[in-house]
Amino acid sequence: MRERTFAPSRILIYLIVSLIAVAWLAPLAVVVLNSLRTNEEIAQGSMIGWPQHLAWSNYATAWSGFCVAETCAGIRPYMLNSALITIPATILSTLLGAVAGYAVSLWRFRGDNWIYGIVTLGIFLPQQMRLLPWTIVLRDTGLMNTLTGLVVIHTIQGLSFTTLFCRNYYVAIPHELIRAARIDGAGFFRIFWRIILPLSPPILVVTVIWQFTHIWNEFLYGVTFTTGQQQPVTAALIALSAAVADIPQHGVQSAAVIIAALPTLLIYLLGGRYFVRGLTAGAVK
Amino acid sequence: MTIAVSTRPGRPAAFDWVRRLPEYLTIWVPLLLSAAHLIAFTLWTIWISFTPSTLVPVSGWVGLRNYSAVAASRNWQIALDNLLLFGSAFVLLSLVTGLVLAILLDQRIRGENVLRSIFLYPLAVSFVVTGTVWSWLLNPGLGIQKLVHDLGWTSFRFDWLIDRDMAIWTIVIAAIWQSSGFAMALFLAGLRSVDADLIKAAQIDGAGPVRMYRRVILPTLWPITITVIVIQLQFAISTFDLVRALTNGGPGIATQLPALVVYDLMFQRSLLGRGAAAAVLMLLILLAVLLPYAAWRYVQRRRAIHA
Amino acid sequence: MPITTTRRRLLAGSAAALALPAFARAQSAVKPRLTAISQWSAGSDGAAITALGKKFEEKGGTWQHSPVPGFTTEMMNKLRAQIIAGDPPACSQLKGPEIAAWSKIAPTLDLDAVVAAAGYEKVVAPDLAKLHKPGGKWIALPLQIYSTNMLFLSKRAMDKAKADKIPVTWAEFNDLADKMKSGGVAFPVANGGTRPDDGQKFEAALAGISPAVYRAAIMNLDEKALKAPEIKAAFVQVRKIADWMDPNVGAQHFSTNLKRFVDGDMGMMIMGGWAQGVLRNAGFKFDDFMIAPGPSDNSKPVFLLNADAFIFWQRKEPDLQAGQTLMAQLVMDPAIQTMYSQITGSIPVRTDVDLSGEGWSDGQRRTAAALKEAIASNQAVLSLAHNMAQENGMTAAMIDVITEYVKNKTIKPEQAATRLAEAVESSR
Repeated sequence: MRERTFAPSRILIYLIVSLIAVAWLAPLAVVVLNSLRTNEEIAQGSMIGWPQHLAWSNYATAWSGFCVAETCAGIRPYMLNSALITIPATILSTLLGAVAGYAVSLWRFRGDNWIYGIVTLGIFLPQQMRLLPWTIVLRDTGLMNTLTGLVVIHTIQGLSFTTLFCRNYYVAIPHELIRAARIDGAGFFRIFWRIILPLSPPILVVTVIWQFTHIWNEFLYGVTFTTGQQQPVTAALIALSAAVADIPQHGVQSAAVIIAALPTLLIYLLGGRYFVRGLTAGAVK
Repeated sequence: MTIAVSTRPGRPAAFDWVRRLPEYLTIWVPLLLSAAHLIAFTLWTIWISFTPSTLVPVSGWVGLRNYSAVAASRNWQIALDNLLLFGSAFVLLSLVTGLVLAILLDQRIRGENVLRSIFLYPLAVSFVVTGTVWSWLLNPGLGIQKLVHDLGWTSFRFDWLIDRDMAIWTIVIAAIWQSSGFAMALFLAGLRSVDADLIKAAQIDGAGPVRMYRRVILPTLWPITITVIVIQLQFAISTFDLVRALTNGGPGIATQLPALVVYDLMFQRSLLGRGAAAAVLMLLILLAVLLPYAAWRYVQRRRAIHA
Repeated sequence: MPITTTRRRLLAGSAAALALPAFARAQSAVKPRLTAISQWSAGSDGAAITALGKKFEEKGGTWQHSPVPGFTTEMMNKLRAQIIAGDPPACSQLKGPEIAAWSKIAPTLDLDAVVAAAGYEKVVAPDLAKLHKPGGKWIALPLQIYSTNMLFLSKRAMDKAKADKIPVTWAEFNDLADKMKSGGVAFPVANGGTRPDDGQKFEAALAGISPAVYRAAIMNLDEKALKAPEIKAAFVQVRKIADWMDPNVGAQHFSTNLKRFVDGDMGMMIMGGWAQGVLRNAGFKFDDFMIAPGPSDNSKPVFLLNADAFIFWQRKEPDLQAGQTLMAQLVMDPAIQTMYSQITGSIPVRTDVDLSGEGWSDGQRRTAAALKEAIASNQAVLSLAHNMAQENGMTAAMIDVITEYVKNKTIKPEQAATRLAEAVESSR
């Protein structure tokens, strides 16, 4: 396993890995190519093809041109809405999950196993089932049609994942560390701030990636609990793809898909290394 | 494993309680909110499943009528059959794909960062987009089959999407593409935390790479394998957006899945009571998956403590 | 979670809203405002509702339209959420028997006075009017009409078949399809593969074979009619249609195939008038295709009615009430209906609009003429596939059987007929 010569076995490994990588990249390549082809060009050929000339205008239309009913501002305002929902909800659910995971793993208190078990079961509760109950909650709290409402929903639902990830990570921290700090007179928050948080970046990267992509890609709550001007980017994507009264706009649709996926793709590209590292350290137990 | 820390002696209990109020609040408020919403929503759904609710929730009692109606419907029966096939095929294949990818990436190959990103990026994309793009690629009139035909090989057939027996496999393909990266990441994490001494010892014994994996490394991956299985099963059972965008349950009703039936009954057919009954049945299926896992975890922990 | 209080709360709200004669007065006092929910977000639908909004603003109103992109289900989710929250929109898109169903869960606005003032009742087809006044009072207003069984013929495919006569009966249709096939048209029937697409094939077949059986079996769910031989005959015809289609369509939308249809690779399309709007938006010319009423075995046109409508919800705010009055007036206005239909390819609900002028297509004129004849011969029936004949639950149960039959050629016609009757029975 150590030598770096080009033995036949290593060539085989590279060959297999490259083949799978190509297969994995194919859907992305198709979307990227389509985003540079005109709608007419795609309609004449197939969905898979090389652009005859680069139709950059698809990106302009997708970014700020196409109409959702009377609003002709492209995907741009919806991107902003998604950011306004996703960023606060990601930060809140990650921080609260970290504190909760820290408390459950290192500060054992009465009922902790029970409440931890229930909270993590939330991972398995289907989305569709929660739609109506959330409607009632939003009505009773007056948060219907506010971005705050969506932030609250995603924070509370996200706690299931973030608590699970963080708890599994913190369980591995040596307890002597905490005990020593307590003898020095450090309290709950001080220990969290001084000892736990500096140890946390790998797992926080995992939870941030996880939460960010899930909330960014969410559609059902996003259209049900907002009004037209606050809808998330997924709603605009659906408006482009499910247009009943239009011929397919595959070119513009592909460009919009690329733009809408950029934030999450970037996060995975930048955080991918830490994702595996964080999982190594924590979530696999 | 963890230490139970009692309050330190020598301070009046009341004062201590007040002093620690902020930490109690930060611990309990989020956890209680989360637990409360889960319990309340589940109880609410169970209650609705016994009511005659249609467009909106109403009170009333219809006994098990919603359950029998769901159980008797063709859609639900097909959905259950599909779940069995899709669930086992997807879990098994994504497990194998993830493991193979992880082992390959673990060979200290060049460009590991790039390759890992390539296998992980589908996780970043929404299911709706994945489903749509795969519906282009797999559609025989638009995608791969059309491309090959246009290149001259006109007898080539790849039409699973419109073949009611094979259509469920298109969902397997898309799901594997989307989520094997996660299995890979977990396995890679596991491979990286294998004890280096163990490997060295095996090397000294003269074990070749194949034997090394079979005898030394893979056995240590068992716990991770279980985690991957549970996570992927959970994914399989709640698969919804992907199917909706890829086949929408078709051709005909050949690719119905439980989550699709729940949504369809609750919101498209406006049969809230029946949809809730289907959701409860889905939860029971989930429990059937989770309980053995929980039991296994429990046994593991006991063993670890007594060892 | 006190969900049961919702209805009570809503009913209490209705008492407050009974003080409604503020209706007309309010209009002069406040600036009318309208909150509306629809799924019309793109293409000709989006363009039409945008134009309607502009007219609303020209009349001094504030237009607050919230489009819910995607499927009808998501639009209904949004509407349901607003109703549960006690904050229904001033008006929202809703159609067919769903109007009656939804009117039971929240108070609607009594539109009788505005409708009477506009003299609208006289110019609306009676079957249609009934759907919009479930309790005897107008609570919703139809906006535009489509027939879901219009027959679109590709000129180039007709040339290939060396045919110029538009088929009137199913026998003639089948004959022409055969000719197209032997003339080199790859697929004599152009179609999409969505659930409503499949449903349309069946309803066009059955209504064309016997409008009376269609009315009894599909609209009235008559047990005997559901076992009539015509149902089986309809399934036989559907199988023929399915055999002429491109099997590779999958679940794609019909619009994916429009180019092949115009090019003559595909011959005939059974589709609603909305296809006209799509064809025009896509830049195709009217010379590329012909439009006629769908096949009817008794040679008199059969019209499968599909009408989009707005339902009006009770609101207490004077500006919303003024907005509702203004909106109701606009929807009933012949000029507005003309504008709307000319964008989408539908025909106006008002039977007194003259379609001879410029801006109307031949297809629309034929559709309007077909509606008149069909009403006269009692052959105007409500579309199943587009949720006009039954509530959504029943519709979906029936479409399940139909779509399975279209996609699975091992199911025998008589088997499908039995399953249809069973599906109806278990959904009652």
